[in-house]
Amino acid sequence: MNAVRQLGNGVFSMNGREWSLLVACLLAIIIFSVASPHYATSGNAATVLRNSVELLLIGLGMTLLLAMGGIDVSIGIVMGLAAIAIGRVLGADGNPVLALVAGPVVGALLGCVTATVVVLGRVPAIVGTLGLLGVYRTAVFVLLGGQWLSGLPASLTNLLATTVLGVPVPALVIVAAYLAVWLALRRTPYGLHLLAIGNSEEKARLSGIPVIKIRFVTFVISGILTGVAATFYVATYRNVEMTIGSTLALDAIAAVILGGTSILGGKCSLIGTVLGVLLLRILQNGLLLIGVPSLWQPVVTGVLIIGVLGFEAISNRFPVVQLLRARA
Amino acid sequence: MTAPFLVARNIGKRFGALTALANVDLEIRSGEVLALLGDNGAGKSTFIKILAGAHPPSDGELVIEGNPVSFHSPKDAAASGIATIFQELALSENLSIAENVFLGRELKRSIFGIPFLKRQEMRQRVDGLLKELDAHISDPEAPVGSLSGGQRQAVAICRALNLNARLVIMDEPTAALAVAETRKVLALTRRLAARGCAVVLISHNISEVFEVADRIVVFRRGRKVAERLAAETDHEEVVSLITGAHPDVRALEKTN
Repeated sequence: MNAVRQLGNGVFSMNGREWSLLVACLLAIIIFSVASPHYATSGNAATVLRNSVELLLIGLGMTLLLAMGGIDVSIGIVMGLAAIAIGRVLGADGNPVLALVAGPVVGALLGCVTATVVVLGRVPAIVGTLGLLGVYRTAVFVLLGGQWLSGLPASLTNLLATTVLGVPVPALVIVAAYLAVWLALRRTPYGLHLLAIGNSEEKARLSGIPVIKIRFVTFVISGILTGVAATFYVATYRNVEMTIGSTLALDAIAAVILGGTSILGGKCSLIGTVLGVLLLRILQNGLLLIGVPSLWQPVVTGVLIIGVLGFEAISNRFPVVQLLRARA
Repeated sequence: MTAPFLVARNIGKRFGALTALANVDLEIRSGEVLALLGDNGAGKSTFIKILAGAHPPSDGELVIEGNPVSFHSPKDAAASGIATIFQELALSENLSIAENVFLGRELKRSIFGIPFLKRQEMRQRVDGLLKELDAHISDPEAPVGSLSGGQRQAVAICRALNLNARLVIMDEPTAALAVAETRKVLALTRRLAARGCAVVLISHNISEVFEVADRIVVFRRGRKVAERLAAETDHEEVVSLITGAHPDVRALEKTN
């Protein structure tokens, strides 16, 4: 028991940045409650949490990628492709067990593809995943043949939209994923190596770290988490539309940066990512309820990214200075 | 006198038509600080790169404790107990001292087949090493990036010791340091030798060399031109050896 306590020491501990995010969430809730009579209802709270499920899972993976000095701008469409696979499996015979496996497997495979391009092919992550984004987008279009997958069987929904001992299944899965990623990051050599690579790949190599292996595995982990997210997506909506996941990468990167993970790598916060996701979803939901069209949501996200990075840049004079200081 | 840890025999290095190093014979002993002096381009760096396994020598051989060795990579040299602390330290600024000291060679225990870090044990080992080196660092959990230049040198030395280095090569360890920090690093160098390590120190600062070195070797134009016990020479003689004004060097260079 003592060993377990030691292992989990600091799993939810928060620093100043994270407390201020929590305060920002609470402030947003208070302001929206005053502004809209529909806001402060238990139904709306459930909606916000429901809408956060996919982004939380994908955000955990994105945190690892950014901490490593990587990024994946194709991650939303990866979820789309995984969702199509799940939909096809469900549509064929409605077997929920196969459908449960399909998401993570397709996610892992696409993670391997990304890793092959970015890690083995040495294409810079931002460019490599941008290229894959183009390819995947067309793949989604071709696979769907211009038509939504809709009216999928409810078998997966019945499996995932339940509660265990009164706790919703998505909440259980998210807590389990958070704990697993946290342990890997803070308690295993893998996490140490990941952060060392994020600080400087060259120094990590000189220290005897298997840089290629760690980077490859991290893209696969991110893919698997995205596959799990796709499973919840399909279970909830029971359809897959053409534009699936098109703003997810933007949202995930925004939430992770908001949470205090460095865009330059080497530093990250998992609890910050969770709070960043919640703040983003609270803002998007609240703005919708006070009458701002959903068309404006990416604008809010984009402004948040620019605002956070801009603020950090100004407080450090220039990002370049910060980079040099980190590598000096 | 004990047998030397490492003997370099007739070491030479050519890069194409350029001879960077020729006929270098040198003995490096455990517990001794050996200083390599020489002007820029004298061959010091080439020589330590051969010791560190970064360059294979064109001629000659290295013998460690009586056994001839040939290094194909820095990894080979490390396996033979040679650690190099470069000027631009290969430390991860975002990780703590203990994490840096053990990076790539962490202590771990397996729980359900998953390797978990033994953080407490690593921390205790590092605390012990820091204490042994008499390096005072107020917060060992702080990221290495927040440490001073001298403290970072101490961390790099801990890392070398933890890898069981028998020979530590220090390339201008005080070049970027303030006065007080320089004193600490020099003291560390002495303590490293007292611990039984062989130390090779490269420096441009002659008074610093006299403070810590047991022996002084002077390189000039790719050759070893002089070897002196620090106690038997002085600042002036060493300068004349480096510049070539010394009669011995003149005589040597006439015959070549």
